[in-house]
Amino acid sequence: MELHLVAESLKFMILGMGIVFVFLYLLVLLMRLQAYLIGRYFPGEPPAAPKHRDGDEAARVAAIVAAVAEHRRKRTRR
Amino acid sequence: MRRWSEMKIAAMIVGILLALAVPSTLWGTQATAAPSIQAQPVSIVGTGEPEKEYASKPLTRLLADFLKTTGVYALAHPESEGKADRFERFARSWGRLIMFGVVFVLFYLAIVKKFEPLLLLPIGFGGLLANIPVVHMTGPDGLLGIIYNMGIANEFFPLLIFMGVGAMTDFGPLLSNPKTALLGAAAQFGIFGSLVGAAALSQYTGLVDFTLKQCAAISIIGGADGPTSIFIATALSPELLGAIAVAAYSYMALVPVIQPPIMKALTTEEERRIVMPRLRTVNKREKLIFPLLIVMLSALLLPESTPLIGAFAFGNFAKESGVVERLSHEMQHALINITTIFLGLGVGSKLQADKFLVLDTLGILVIGLVAFAVGTAAGVLLAKLMNRFSTQPINPLIGAAGVSAVPMAARVVNVVGAEARPGNVLLMHAMGPNVAGVIGSAVAAGVLLSIFN
Repeated sequence: MELHLVAESLKFMILGMGIVFVFLYLLVLLMRLQAYLIGRYFPGEPPAAPKHRDGDEAARVAAIVAAVAEHRRKRTRR
Repeated sequence: MRRWSEMKIAAMIVGILLALAVPSTLWGTQATAAPSIQAQPVSIVGTGEPEKEYASKPLTRLLADFLKTTGVYALAHPESEGKADRFERFARSWGRLIMFGVVFVLFYLAIVKKFEPLLLLPIGFGGLLANIPVVHMTGPDGLLGIIYNMGIANEFFPLLIFMGVGAMTDFGPLLSNPKTALLGAAAQFGIFGSLVGAAALSQYTGLVDFTLKQCAAISIIGGADGPTSIFIATALSPELLGAIAVAAYSYMALVPVIQPPIMKALTTEEERRIVMPRLRTVNKREKLIFPLLIVMLSALLLPESTPLIGAFAFGNFAKESGVVERLSHEMQHALINITTIFLGLGVGSKLQADKFLVLDTLGILVIGLVAFAVGTAAGVLLAKLMNRFSTQPINPLIGAAGVSAVPMAARVVNVVGAEARPGNVLLMHAMGPNVAGVIGSAVAAGVLLSIFN
């Protein structure tokens, strides 16, 4: 008998999206768990975040981030 | 004066080539007498391989035989390369010329438009070489054939690329805002949505006739991930590899064109202006453990995805460990560069006229585009939904970065966000869904493989 392509592909879609969401949702949970555990048992490692005082500072950081991203993009594109 | 004589010589050469191209009766006798080559003395070497022995020929005959080995002759006489039906004859003559045009378009896109030049340029050149008559460079002993069999037929090169990409990826933004990983999942709807679309197109219209496997291979373009697309296309329907790879990389290059209209159509001005809170700084240990987490998760849930995710995680682990700087550096540079050369040429070998100049290619280009658009839309819509229910504001634009296309998609989000509110930097927030999209499309690929294996 001929395969009903659309029916089959709908099944694939349900299975596929289900697995993708389960996988990444589990990943979210695990990331939260490890963030909690590491924060609890190995705290104090993160370097002090630079304080930003005003909007100008934020804009400067934005410009730097964008420039770095642009530079990286130019150098290492896959 | 000198220029004149040069022109005369050129005119003579053109004249000879034209004479060759004309299927004239002049050569007719010799063309029909093709078996005469086999009629020459044949000696049997020890291995049992028949080897042609050279016999003395008059100069005119030598010249005539040589002219028959030229490309112009082969293009004008497609049947000279063995029996062929009408389509094959077309593919070997006009088809090859059309493909030369196609690869020049690829060169134009790569060099002038700067569309993914690292891939489109080698792919284009591979396509150029693959369509050269007489020599069969795509055969098992040809340059392209060797490259193809060495690393593409067995899906090796895409994995090496994934290793390098892993070594370049920083999971910090994702780790600091884990729930954005779900956006990388939503965008995979582009894959499965277009899978249904491709199936419907094959079933209800006579335009294309894809099998379920082929539909799956095409829909992976929606993952917006080059190596994954090549990996899956090779595994499920290698005959479509050329078109799928070209479509995937072209659309990845077109992300800044394809995505913004969709993003703007699905969000309000107000939503686009949302400022997201600063990302927390991520502990180094979190980054170190993360690649192990994804390997273990895929090992337990979906071993079919471990080739991709394992290679990716290895690269990332080497980078984050901080003790194998040399290895991680090579993965990010020498290894990925060399592999890119081979991958491009090998994929280009599938741009042969008889494989590429078919209606299926058009279908693949259309379905791929739809897949991309649907993936973008799904990401944005889920981000809207999450914004409604989340305590922290989420700018729906970052959902568009859930299609992988690292880091292009995140940059596009940043640009569109800054349009709505100058100074609003969404880049790092968009990198979270972006890298999650890479994992998401690898998982989707694993699901498709597990279905068909």
